[in-house]
Amino acid sequence: MRPVRTVRTCVFRCRTSSFLLLFLLQGGGVLRRSQSSGINAFPVLPPSSFSSWSRWKQLIFVMGFGDLKSSSGLKVLNDFLTDRSFIEGYVPSQADVAVFEAVSAPPPADLCHALRWYNHIKSYQAQKNSLPGVKKPLGQYGPTGVADTTSSGPAASKDEDDDDIDLFGSDEEEDTEAAKLKEQRLAEYAAKKAKKPALIAKSSILLDVKPWDDETDMAKLEECVRSIQMDGLVWGQSKLVPVGYGIKKLQISCVVEDDKVGTDILEEQITAFEDYVQSMDVAAFNKI
Amino acid sequence: GKRRAPCLPLFQGFLSGTEQGRCYLCGFKLWVPVLQNNQGPPLVGLITIACHLVKEAKRSNLLGESAEGRAVVQQWLEYRVTRLDGCTKEDSKTILKELNIHLQDNVYLAGNHFTLADTLMYYGIHPLIVDLTVQEKEQYLNVARWFDHIQHIPSLRHHLPPVVVLRNRIYTSRHH
Repeated sequence: MRPVRTVRTCVFRCRTSSFLLLFLLQGGGVLRRSQSSGINAFPVLPPSSFSSWSRWKQLIFVMGFGDLKSSSGLKVLNDFLTDRSFIEGYVPSQADVAVFEAVSAPPPADLCHALRWYNHIKSYQAQKNSLPGVKKPLGQYGPTGVADTTSSGPAASKDEDDDDIDLFGSDEEEDTEAAKLKEQRLAEYAAKKAKKPALIAKSSILLDVKPWDDETDMAKLEECVRSIQMDGLVWGQSKLVPVGYGIKKLQISCVVEDDKVGTDILEEQITAFEDYVQSMDVAAFNKI
Repeated sequence: GKRRAPCLPLFQGFLSGTEQGRCYLCGFKLWVPVLQNNQGPPLVGLITIACHLVKEAKRSNLLGESAEGRAVVQQWLEYRVTRLDGCTKEDSKTILKELNIHLQDNVYLAGNHFTLADTLMYYGIHPLIVDLTVQEKEQYLNVARWFDHIQHIPSLRHHLPPVVVLRNRIYTSRHH
């Protein structure tokens, strides 16, 4: 394959391009497409962040809320304040004053945590100079991994580029627009990741429960198995399947919610009935 | 019978320096605390005693800032004594739900400052929160946030075990 223009295009045309290599290249049409198709291999950082060590470093060690003047930054702030009453610590401080001043208007009502914090800090307006702490630049507050881009633009990312060597010789066409877009997308990604999914993942499991011998009371065994009640577990049909020598195994199906119930928990609980159950197997496991 | 208001000695410690020598909690009469002091008749009842202690400690701001603030504090104190004390398991879920709704828009229970309402509600709710699972704490997220905030106020918690309120930020509920 003759490389045509840049490294990026070459890999796109080459059929044997590895998945990893794609991740290591800068964001282009290829990666945007892959991202939208739902690849979730790296749950925390989006693929385009691996293009250079400097950018990766920036994402791990930098703090901030994104652009607090935009709705994406406010969403990050809202998420940050969900389980915190103040920006730093447990009393109002200069940290709150700093962020309050960066937020130009009251957050909308659907960002209830940010709004609560805003109204609360507003009531301290009179004493804002006497609050404890030292005012630091906005990049010192907030969750890690989201850079602060309020009003100062993508100046931060530009500085980092100069010193480090870009490992894959990525192009210099990184302009301010793209950098700003990236930071915004990161903030949105972080906010989206924190929201709970609407769909509940369920699976249908078919279990084989084997008794000790043919004398075992299968009705009692089934009763014991069905007595196992857990949140996210629903028992379904069951039948007795002969396995030879007069012994029958119980095949019972159940529907579980993936994040609440696992097969290991089920196995533990079923094999706890040592009097009746010799062992348990998963005969089939289907995602619904 | 179950002793109610085991928090009063803790509360006295929080206000510290009030009447430690002068008056003492002389036990419980029908599960209601009684405070004996040198001047006047004994005080009966959690709210009465708590308000008295606050005034003696000259920290009346704990009772509320304005007339409206004071009324709200008293309402929450009534809530604590009538709804929370001696409630059943189902009631406790209702209480947590109501608190969660209220604390969505408010940092403190009454107004914008820490008041007696927060203190007594913290002491009252502590046994409930200690037994909550991680998922339940996520369900009552605002209560968990307020609780974590209050338990960090200096000299309030004493020997009560701290409750860890950690929000699971790396994985959503979908991943194990």
